[in-house]
Parts: sequence; structure tokens; C-alpha cells
Amino acid sequence: MSNSSVYPTPLNTFKQSKRSVLSVIVDNEPGILARITGLFSGRGYNIEALNVTVVDIKDNLSRITIETLGEERVVNQILAQLEKLVPVHSAINLANLKESYEAEICLVKIQFENEQQNNEILSFADIYRARTVQKRQLLVIYEISGTSERINKFLDDLHTISGIKVEKVRSGPIGLGI
Amino acid sequence: MSIDQELTGAEIVLEALKDQEVDTIFGYPGGAVLPIYDALFGQNFLKHVLVRQEAGAVHAAEGYARSSGKVGVLLVTSGPGVTNVVTGLTDALMDSIPIVCFSGQVPSHLIGTDAFQECDTTGITRPCTKHNYLVKDINKLPEIIHEAFEIARSGRPGPVLIDIPKDIQFAKSVYKKKSDVTFKSHRIKSGSKDIDRVFIEQLINHIKKSQKPVFYVGGGCLNSGPQASQELMKLVQLTNIPITTTLHGLGCYPAEDEKSLGMLGMHGTYEANLSMNQCDLMINVGARFDDRVTGRLDAFSPNSVKFHFDIDKSSINKNVKVDYHTNTDITFSLKAINEYIESTGITFDESQYKNWWSQINEWRDKNCLHYEQSDETIKPQHAISRLYQLTNQKDTFVTTEVGQHQMWAAQYYKFAKPNRWITSGGLGTMGFGMPAAIGAQMANPNSLVIDIAGEASFLMNVQEIATAVQYKLPIKIFILNNEYMGMVRQWQELMHGSRYSESYVDALPDFKKLAESFNAVGVRAKNLSELDDAINEMVSVDRPVIADIWIDKKENCFPMIPSGASHSEMLLSKYDKENPENQKKGKVLV
Repeated sequence: MSNSSVYPTPLNTFKQSKRSVLSVIVDNEPGILARITGLFSGRGYNIEALNVTVVDIKDNLSRITIETLGEERVVNQILAQLEKLVPVHSAINLANLKESYEAEICLVKIQFENEQQNNEILSFADIYRARTVQKRQLLVIYEISGTSERINKFLDDLHTISGIKVEKVRSGPIGLGI
Repeated sequence: MSIDQELTGAEIVLEALKDQEVDTIFGYPGGAVLPIYDALFGQNFLKHVLVRQEAGAVHAAEGYARSSGKVGVLLVTSGPGVTNVVTGLTDALMDSIPIVCFSGQVPSHLIGTDAFQECDTTGITRPCTKHNYLVKDINKLPEIIHEAFEIARSGRPGPVLIDIPKDIQFAKSVYKKKSDVTFKSHRIKSGSKDIDRVFIEQLINHIKKSQKPVFYVGGGCLNSGPQASQELMKLVQLTNIPITTTLHGLGCYPAEDEKSLGMLGMHGTYEANLSMNQCDLMINVGARFDDRVTGRLDAFSPNSVKFHFDIDKSSINKNVKVDYHTNTDITFSLKAINEYIESTGITFDESQYKNWWSQINEWRDKNCLHYEQSDETIKPQHAISRLYQLTNQKDTFVTTEVGQHQMWAAQYYKFAKPNRWITSGGLGTMGFGMPAAIGAQMANPNSLVIDIAGEASFLMNVQEIATAVQYKLPIKIFILNNEYMGMVRQWQELMHGSRYSESYVDALPDFKKLAESFNAVGVRAKNLSELDDAINEMVSVDRPVIADIWIDKKENCFPMIPSGASHSEMLLSKYDKENPENQKKGKVLV
């Protein structure tokens, strides 16, 4: 007799939500993104971040990377549902691989008012090795890449500087496994 | 026709249907499909059945598919034509029925302009089809059609829609034969035929160890093909294990066999549900742990090891966590198990489950489907029982609408063969049964096709009686008339203090006159003494018949597991009262 056969009702369960990054290879055809986002909204799954680009022009394939929050059983269900879609070649959870690497890119536009703020910004940019994309008087645009966590930290640190205005855009994580 | 002769898109559709061996198509014309209707004119390999509303076409295609094992095909126009089939597509998706729907679309250059009868067909039908296409290039049309049929019928079957703009129907290209198309395996996702040896050996080990095993069989067994039922029967006989089936599994195993416990779930039998509750080994063959079956999940079969056969990976561990699973096509798995048993010479001791069977027989003695038939008013259960007794010697197909009559039909009509029972389970679509009967009769012209109906459901697609008359389809509509939406009334009685809000159907038509006005035949039974005559007349007339059977207006459908209750908390009659704690929780469920 297996213990795993006793399961609580969804209503009374404390759900252990975990961040997962899913990597999906699809035929690049009209409507594929709508199929995937529709699957998520229709079944009540979360999309925290989403990235779609053609990765193979010859075979017309796109890779879609989705960051989602959910307990393990839900994430496995998402993968099974994704694999049922006709244009989907494969759907994997990077966390299930032995080894996987993640990266995200973020552009940050910072408007500041004085030299002191500028120095603080420069020191953070230096620590995080953010690349200067454009610099004007009282304005700088940085590009930073790496894990989402690293980018979060950089942005958190920037927010400790008072009186500056920060605008950002993020690609969402992408990842590859070995 | 020479090989590289160019055909119009409309002609390609017809050529592909011929190639796919389609002989029947259900549909309704309109502006955006006129080129295809023009191509239909003057050909004779394809029978077109003109329905009276597109919903009728899609349910007829479902009935055709379910009763024949082939893909059901329909053809509708753009805009309202296709929005009318959305319910049926959803129904087919929920119940895994293979259908291909062709829809017309406004010409390509008008897409996106809010043209007359334009709608975003692929957008609207994306969540209710297994796959859909908008054809933008005439050269891809033949491949798309062949792929659509392959997707509809393979793996877990389902509905596929092809939206064809009017200019594409006129454009010309070379036809590509089915045999010349190579399908990409990732797109077809057909079921695996590879046997999972470990799964089989584990199953046999557990069967040997088990004291209280049960088979729980669903529509997946049926979709795997008739051989699956035969292998299942063999396995049940070899192992002496009791078997219960879901609503869609009815007919996979002969209902009157002593190993059959009948249907399980919300309106399942006492013995089936208690067996599920108390078993130590559950063998799920092609069922999906639907909420109508499991009842309250935390009390669902708490002490069993669970094996799950399902071709659809997403069914595994979706609602209920199982211990062992296989995604191999059921026919192949069951066959391999039977061969394994025979080749290894394993025998199953008759006495192994002796206690289990005597426990089951005690539950059976409750006689949970018992009802009291008075001398006057017809009890609905009795009406179905008599219908069964008077038609079971014939080659019979039964469709149903949705509600109390559907559950009574499932309980009292005993199916012996697969594919004889066609009902809307997952979606619960009222108005399904009559068009489904039309489809089943088209596929089985010499069989007796009966739609067991309620008067409220019947009225939802009443127009289709004209279709049956036009094509001389002698379908029988057996209405259990209680002047209520019976199941709604039952829930209001049990859960909403008998406040029958809007569930009484006032101003009903005279069904006999209604039948006559359509040139069909009307019969009526007002009381017990008229019942058998009405049934016999209905069956013997070689025309469409509406039988208006006046039943007890207040009868409820038992046994019942109220929403939020577990298998061990069944109500067996109106005298059983529900646990108030469950009632509070169950009221918010469906």
C-alpha cells in the first residue's frame, strides 16, 4: 500500500509554489504563441516571464522560455499539456536537468540630478559590471545580463539611491541545459 | 484526372474527403462556403445531410463518429455558422471524439476588416479544438486536410477545425494524395505501441498480492477500438476481478455479466462506489478521474495502489496521484498482459477474492437501483427498464440528452457491446441527443437508434426533427416528460431548500402534435397501462417518432453522491439525508 495515494483536497492544501523555467521548442507558425498563452490562462497557470524567438530558420523552429510559479505537480501538468499542443516538439523544465544555465538581459535608463548620485550609480554599475549603452548629461543607459537574481539585486541596489528615476526593460530568463 | 491537373480549393476539399473515405458530411450552407457547396453539387460519393442549425451538424458528426469509429465531418459557413458549432467542438474535445470541421471564412484580403459574417474563427475555436488551421496558401490545403484527419483520429482523439477563406476555395493548385503526405511525428502524437514490461509485471504482482482489487474502466478503452474491449473481457475473466465503468465506459464490458458492478460515480451503484472506496488495488483503464467519478478527492479510495492506463500523458496525476502508469495504447497493453499471463502460466486462485466478492454481494443486496412502480404513474426508471426489455434483442444504439433521464438511461439500459451508447459526458450538453441520433442513424442505417430525452433538452435542438424527416431517418425520441429540468430541480430540492427557481418548464408543446406537424410520428403514454404499447409502436414504425412518456414529476435520481461528499456517503433514496457539513462545502461545487 502506498502512502502517496492519500492526497489532500486542493482547498486545504498549503501549496508549495516554486519558480520554474520551462523551455519549449515549437514550429514557428501563426497562432502558436496564442495557443501557449491561452493554455496558461485557460487552465489558471501563471506566466511570470515569457520569451519567444526563432532559433532555427531552416527548420522554422522557435524556442519559447516561460518562467512560471507553481507546485511541482502543477508544473508537471503544464509540461504534459504543452506537449499535447500539435506544433510543440518538446517541453522541458530546466530544473529537471542535471545542469542548466540561465541568463536574462535588462536595459536600465537612469536619470539623476547631481554628482553624488552619479558616483553611487557608477559604483553599482562597476560592481555588477553593467555595460554603458548610452551616456548623456544626467542620464545613463546600462545593459546588464546574467541570472534574474543578479539583475534583481542590481535593481534593488539602484533603488537605494534617493532621488533618481529608473526605467527598465527585461527580457525574462532564457536558459539552456546540458 | 491527370496527376498534375490543377483543382480549385473547393474541389481539393472534396477530393481529400474522398481520399479519406468520408461518405457522409453534415452541414449548412452560407456565403463563405458557397464554392464548396457548388463542388458538392452533382457529385455522388458524398452524402450531405442538411441540418437545421449548425449545432445539429456538429452533434450529428459526433454521433456518427461514436457509433462508427470513423471521423465525423461537418461543413459550416463563416461567422454565425461557426460560432454555432463552438459548443459541439467543446463537447467533442471533452469526450475525445474525432471530428473534422470545415468552416468558410471571408476572403483573405477582407480578414481583419470586420467584414460581413467575419469572426476570428481560429481564435474562438483554439481552446475548444485539438488543433485548428486558417488556410492562407492554397498549395498547403491538401496536406492540411490530411494532417487534420490524422490528428483528429490519433492518440487521444478530438475535434480539428479547418478555416478556409473564400478566395482559397476558388484558387487553384495541384492535389496531393493522402498516401503522398508524410506526417511529422511530433505533430500527430499518436499513442505509443511499445509495451511497458515493468508496468505489466508490477500489475501482475499486485493482482497476485491484492485482496480487494477493482477495474475502473472509462471511454479511453472504447476509443482504443473494439479489440480493447475483447482483451478487457478476457482479462476480467482470467483474473476474476470486479469491474465498474464510467458513464463513457458503458458497453466496454457487458453490463449484465456477474463481474460487472455497473456504473460508478455521482449516480453510480452502491456496490461500484463502495468497491472503489474500499479496494486495495485500483486498475484504471482509460478513465480520467473525473470529478463526477471521484467525489471528494481526499476521501477517494484512500487505501489503494493505483495503476493507470491512459494514452494522454496529461491525464496522469492530474486529479489523482497514481502509483504506476503507462501511456501505451490500451489495446496493446491489455493484449500484452493477457499474453503474459498465458505464457507464464500464472493462475489466479478462485478463492483469493472470496471475501471481497462476498462483501460486494452484500453491497449488491442493498439493491440500490430498486424503485417502486405503482399501478398508475410511470416511474422513469420503469420506462427505461421496459424500453431496454423491449429493444435489447434488436441491433440498438442509444443516445441521450443531459439530465436525470441520462442517468436513468445509464443505470437501467444495460449495454452489452461497445460503441452502442452515445452521450455527452464531460461537457453535459443539453440538446446533444437528437442530432447525435441522426448521426448514428446515418452511420447505421439498418439499426434501431433511440434518443432517450428529457423534454427540456429535446427542445434545445427540436428543429433537427425536420432533418430526420427529410432524410427518412427513423430515429426514436423517447421523452421522459416530467415538465421540469429534472436534474436542476433535484439539486434545488437537495441543496437549495426546494426553491424551484425557474426549473419548471411551463407552456410545453403538445409533443404528439409537434411530431405530426413535422411529418414525424407522435405517440404518447400517460400512464403505466399505455407504456408498452407506446414503446412497441415507436419501435415498429419505420419513421422518425417522438414518444411523449409522462413520468412521475417528482422522482429523483438515486443513488447519489452529493457534490463534496465521498464514495462512502451515498444517498440511496429520498429518505437519506446529507451530512450538513458536506452540504455546505458541496454547495459551491458543481
